[in-house]
Amino acid sequence: MNNARAVFVKQLRDIVKNKAVLLQYLVMPVMALALTQLVAKPSGGAIPVTMFVSMFTAIFVGMVMPAATTGAIAEDRERGSLRFLVMAGVKPVDYLLGVGGVILATGTVVLVAFGLMGGLTPSQFGRFIVMTLGGGVASVLLGAVVGLLAGNQQAATAVVMPISLVFGFGPMIAMFNVTTGKLLAPFYTMQMSATISNIDAPMGKSALIVLANIVVLLGLFVLDYKKRGLRA
Amino acid sequence: MIQMQGVVKRFGAQTVLDGVTFTAHDHEIFGLLGPSGAGKTTIINILTHQLDCDAGEHHIGVTSQETGVMLEQDGLFARLTCLDNLELFATIFALPRTRPTEVLASVGLEQAARRPVSALSKGMRQRLALARAVLNHPKVLFLDEPTSGLDPLTARGIHKLIQDLRDDGSTVFLTTHNMDEAVKLCDHVILLNKGTIVEQGTPQDICRRHNAMKTVPDLEAVFIEMTGDELE
Repeated sequence: MNNARAVFVKQLRDIVKNKAVLLQYLVMPVMALALTQLVAKPSGGAIPVTMFVSMFTAIFVGMVMPAATTGAIAEDRERGSLRFLVMAGVKPVDYLLGVGGVILATGTVVLVAFGLMGGLTPSQFGRFIVMTLGGGVASVLLGAVVGLLAGNQQAATAVVMPISLVFGFGPMIAMFNVTTGKLLAPFYTMQMSATISNIDAPMGKSALIVLANIVVLLGLFVLDYKKRGLRA
Repeated sequence: MIQMQGVVKRFGAQTVLDGVTFTAHDHEIFGLLGPSGAGKTTIINILTHQLDCDAGEHHIGVTSQETGVMLEQDGLFARLTCLDNLELFATIFALPRTRPTEVLASVGLEQAARRPVSALSKGMRQRLALARAVLNHPKVLFLDEPTSGLDPLTARGIHKLIQDLRDDGSTVFLTTHNMDEAVKLCDHVILLNKGTIVEQGTPQDICRRHNAMKTVPDLEAVFIEMTGDELE
């Protein structure tokens, strides 16, 4: 765990100096806040208050979190930094816990902000956090799979973009198209979005689907790692 | 003691190392010389377990925790400060908290401790990479072109550090294009050409064998004779 902690501290120091990532972390909650205050609330119930929160939470979890994870891993590989960590004895699980832990921890701050914007009761807030954190874990794993797959940052962006567009924007399109919603039902961001939109409904099935996504992505990560490893 | 015995490495149809055999003794500076593409970096990658060889045996007699590595690609974390970079590895190696500052001072970077790596000159980055390589008091130190592209004054400072490390008991394994550097620093050298060792011994002995002892050993003349290549 000492190595995971060391990587966590390194990644935390890095992310607070990475303006591109910080901007992505800020844009989604600011957009959600603005649209909730300026459009949803004045609509007098025509637009649900949680609509924009749900929309931008899905985009944040499905796009920003995987992209941030992929970017961090691909950058460390491309610059040769990762090989020095591996040579020093850092194990893949330590590296993933360190990097993924920071993305998840910083992402949680944003998710709490989203939750507060939705005007949720304490129990609704708890459900919101459980569901979005589950999605966050899946997103970190998704980003790690792509990060290992891609040899450099440019390739990582090219791969993560279309995937995260499906995961991030899919639930938004599903709000206006029932077929899209059915097609995307097996994906964690869709279930997350559905739960937030109908926060008082039973969430057992959605939680199971998110868990299944996590298991599948973890399996893909293990396979990907066995094939490619962490070598730069 | 670092040993390679009949090591073969192929990348596809190309044989990069063809039966490489040598022994580097403890507490010496061992030089690996050869033109670009001769296989020098591949040897370091194999000895530091970043690459597997296709045939033959090798060992360095110490653990990865007792090894220091400086490669051509420095692998430093660009957004972090000099101190942050060293603190990361000091945590991984469980070293005293004062060690990073101590090592920064030994390479003359104490004034730059709080500067981000991205703001350093090439020479400063090289010195920081060397500081990271020696942070854990390595018993075996691998240096791949440590003074490549540096001004004479900075190169001289690095030469002094390398000699001090040898005198303090480390075994230094060095690759270089610079024949003057090899003559000045190395106790023992091997000349590698197209994946095969074409000559080995002390710089003085090699030069004597090839009638290249002038007022000082002219290893460059031997290099050109043995490889047929002009130095870059």
